[in-house]
Amino acid sequence: MKRKSLLLVFGMILVLLLAACSSEGSSSGSDDGKVKLRIAWWGDQPRNDYTTKVIEMYEEQNPDVQIDAEYASWDDYWQKLSPQAAANELPDIVQMDVSYLAQYAQGNKLADLTPFLGEQIDTSNMTEDYVNGGKIEDGIYGMNTGVNAVGFHYNPELLEELGLGSEIPEDWTWDDYKSMSDKAVAQGAFFDTHLRPDVFFDYYLRSQGSRLYAEDGSGLGYEDDKLFVDYWSMIAEQVEKGATPTPDALAQITGIEDDPVVKGEAIGIFQWSNQFVGLKQVAEKPLEIAPMPGPGTSDGLYLKPGMFFSVSQNSEQKEAAADFLDFFMNDVEANKLILGDRGVPGSSEVKDALKDEVSEAQKQVFEYVEWAETNSSPMGAPDPAGAGEVIELLETLAEQISYGQLAPEEAAESFRTQAESMLGQ
Amino acid sequence: MTKRRPRYFLYHILVGGFAVLLLYPVIWLFVSSFKESGDIFITAGSLIPNPFTLLNYAQGWEGFGGYGFGTFIKNTIVFVIWMLLGHLISCSLIAFGFARLKFVGRGFWFMIMLVTLMLPYEVVMIPQYIIFSELGWLNSLKPLVVPAFFGHPFFIFLLVQFIRTIPRELDEAATIDGANTFQIFYKVILPLIVPALATTAIFTFYWTWDNLLGPVLYLNSPEKYTVSMALNMFLSNETVSNWGAMFAMSIVTLVPVFVIFFIFQRYVVEGISTTGLKG
Amino acid sequence: MSSRLRSNLWGYLFIGPFIIGFLAFTIIPMLASLYFSFTDYGLFDDPVWIGFENYIKMFTEDPRYINSLKVTIIYVFAGVPLRLAFALLVAMLLNVGSRAVGWYRTLYYLPSLIGGSVAVAIMWRNIFGDDGIVNIALKTMGIDSIRWFGEPTAALWMLIFLSIWQFGSSMLIFLAGLKSIPASFYEAASVDGANFFQKFFRITLPMLSPVLLFNIIMQTISAFMTFVPAFIISKGTGGPLDGTLLYSLYLFKQGFEYFNMGYASAMAWVMLVIVGILTGIIFLTSKYWVHYESEGK
Repeated sequence: MKRKSLLLVFGMILVLLLAACSSEGSSSGSDDGKVKLRIAWWGDQPRNDYTTKVIEMYEEQNPDVQIDAEYASWDDYWQKLSPQAAANELPDIVQMDVSYLAQYAQGNKLADLTPFLGEQIDTSNMTEDYVNGGKIEDGIYGMNTGVNAVGFHYNPELLEELGLGSEIPEDWTWDDYKSMSDKAVAQGAFFDTHLRPDVFFDYYLRSQGSRLYAEDGSGLGYEDDKLFVDYWSMIAEQVEKGATPTPDALAQITGIEDDPVVKGEAIGIFQWSNQFVGLKQVAEKPLEIAPMPGPGTSDGLYLKPGMFFSVSQNSEQKEAAADFLDFFMNDVEANKLILGDRGVPGSSEVKDALKDEVSEAQKQVFEYVEWAETNSSPMGAPDPAGAGEVIELLETLAEQISYGQLAPEEAAESFRTQAESMLGQ
Repeated sequence: MTKRRPRYFLYHILVGGFAVLLLYPVIWLFVSSFKESGDIFITAGSLIPNPFTLLNYAQGWEGFGGYGFGTFIKNTIVFVIWMLLGHLISCSLIAFGFARLKFVGRGFWFMIMLVTLMLPYEVVMIPQYIIFSELGWLNSLKPLVVPAFFGHPFFIFLLVQFIRTIPRELDEAATIDGANTFQIFYKVILPLIVPALATTAIFTFYWTWDNLLGPVLYLNSPEKYTVSMALNMFLSNETVSNWGAMFAMSIVTLVPVFVIFFIFQRYVVEGISTTGLKG
Repeated sequence: MSSRLRSNLWGYLFIGPFIIGFLAFTIIPMLASLYFSFTDYGLFDDPVWIGFENYIKMFTEDPRYINSLKVTIIYVFAGVPLRLAFALLVAMLLNVGSRAVGWYRTLYYLPSLIGGSVAVAIMWRNIFGDDGIVNIALKTMGIDSIRWFGEPTAALWMLIFLSIWQFGSSMLIFLAGLKSIPASFYEAASVDGANFFQKFFRITLPMLSPVLLFNIIMQTISAFMTFVPAFIISKGTGGPLDGTLLYSLYLFKQGFEYFNMGYASAMAWVMLVIVGILTGIIFLTSKYWVHYESEGK
């Protein structure tokens, strides 16, 4: 009995090893003078599927180019990318996030795309702000694949039920926010599910004419700690009166699937426009998008690049890579597969063509971003190096404020000293 | 025999009942894989999928980008087999050297071996990556598999501890019979450490199966991905994760590990008793 | 002379693969990280020598570091003994000759087989959720439910429970060790009229001691290095309020999220020293309690 099973195991081993060797042999034998590009992105199953199709479409139109895809989930992707960058083995095209772009560009790992703009990459249908989304110092280090804007994604039925009107007006203010919260609390509902500290504090600062990071990334972008105190006092108050769940309650939430909005316990979520589609899909409720509370909404709002495609500095085929980027940004048929998954496209031609293609929820996103285009201000420099650490610091402080462990005044001071030293490095 | 029945009955109640308690999370995972993806968290408290669906399995098995989940399982099996070969051969040789042979520098090298376990991999990762990139081994299994043929401290140490429990008289008897050092290793020691070798095999199997960081670093083409990487691909940091498919494929990937464990655990516990230790 | 040379030769022949592998793949990266620990190194730019600055910063101006050290020490010193005791208990329960035992062993090992996949994190979220089974159990016992993911101490204990739950690998090694104790020893003891506890302390424990030493050392080392559970359960943050920010997780963040590879390397070498000292102490004491059959009685 034992002998037999061992023999069987060895037989299987042999077959598999042979199979492995033979398959390796066949894949390396396709050197036929084609331009070979490697492209890497992070994403989930649907994105991997449609991007593969876009690549196939491009290869059909450009038979002399072969593009090898390398994709992984978000965490795995960044884990993969840093050693590749250190060894100068980055794929020709890499998907980049706003929070890492500066780090990779300043480390001289990404190519400046300026020489390709107007040549391989057609930007004639895009606004200047859109293209400048990937600007670090004097160069464009990433092509914006689409934009997002923050807003309040809410359930109008619940709003009406609580007697807060049928919709949230476009010009609502923080005072409205507070008074509506009071009414929601009185009837046992949450108004919102908390504001992500870095995103919305930055929005608030911008709406007051400052910003979170200094333009050159060397320190904080606001002078007056009163702004910090005002904003975080408001947040602490919201938590205290029960309009926003406490941090420990939030920590128990697994994901969007059991979010209070989905469960009908909260009116809405403050979040990025690209998250709206997923929320609506899970919630199976009518949902609407309202802008951020004012005053100063249009100063506060900006169009944030959803992600970028960058060309690596170690690539030997930068032109070919740029040509693919152009296809990805501007080809209407390709974008009918992409359907705004990487943010609302910048090309006006693509956007018009997509309007009838996208889902109901995606259409709402397109409309909101279109509205935001005329009611926002330029983004300015992307997150500087060191921002990751600053964001975590802010999150920790925000948590302590919400728990009531730390007064906003103390937090303001501690944030300033620590953040300045993180950014100053 | 009949006198023992009640005691056995009690034993099964106790051990079986406790197993169910421990396995509750796994049962939950299993049941959830038959729920509709959107329901998993809404009906988290219920252990009856309603409606019952196999859609998660269908979706998950499809894989992505044109590669079915079967591809990832096959890749992982190949990976595992290489690791098994590497660890079983190299670790038993090295362990015998450390446990039985007297040579200058034995303590030193043993210490070095343990020290390599104490440095977090995160900081050696980049330099090591550069070495493998210079060797032209990127995007292949080589950086993961070749080092396995040079031993792994955990298993070397494990085997050393087992060899040290074997009485030396056995070696001495073999020497008198004219066996050389290699024959002692092969004919005396190896048969006696079958339980430890089976343990090594089980651990290697499942650590390799579970290994995420290695494949993430060194495998670039999706056609070469392993199951651990593939499972993460059902997650999304921006929109909605496909939990259903992820759970379903987690269950699927658990099956081979389960089977292998069930087969090999017998060698862990039966090895000695069948060979018979003449102590 | 020639016999000594021969035994040296045989020795190096057998451990040769390890030495070659070490020289080829391990020593250069190790030395490189040691060098980085004395530099300001951001992963993408060239390292700049700064002497002991990283090491000084760690202990004087980085409260998060001290906190992560504290969290890790609790994790190790609470988790490892509990896990080992549990594993030994179950191994002894499963070391009987019943037919069903093969199944039991497999079932008990199942939690460990699930390993570090994200599915574990989701399971844990469900079990320790507001309406999860743990809180339901607490409520029926008349204890207030706990926000496991929101309270730093509770979250750390949750991680420790996870490590105990995945006790399978230690259990398996104990089982293999238990099985290599000749049954004749117990029979002889039974004839002498020894009870269960006498057998346990006079036969099982001494005979198992080499394996116990192995498990203690390996579990301690790997507990100090724990990364994956903390990462997946806290969604990579180490929260709440850094309550689950284990050493390796903080090191990872410094190296790959904040791009302070020099600092991360320094952290790694401090860890090596701490774990090395601890291992050394365990080894030194082992003389008094570990019993090797091959070295006589």
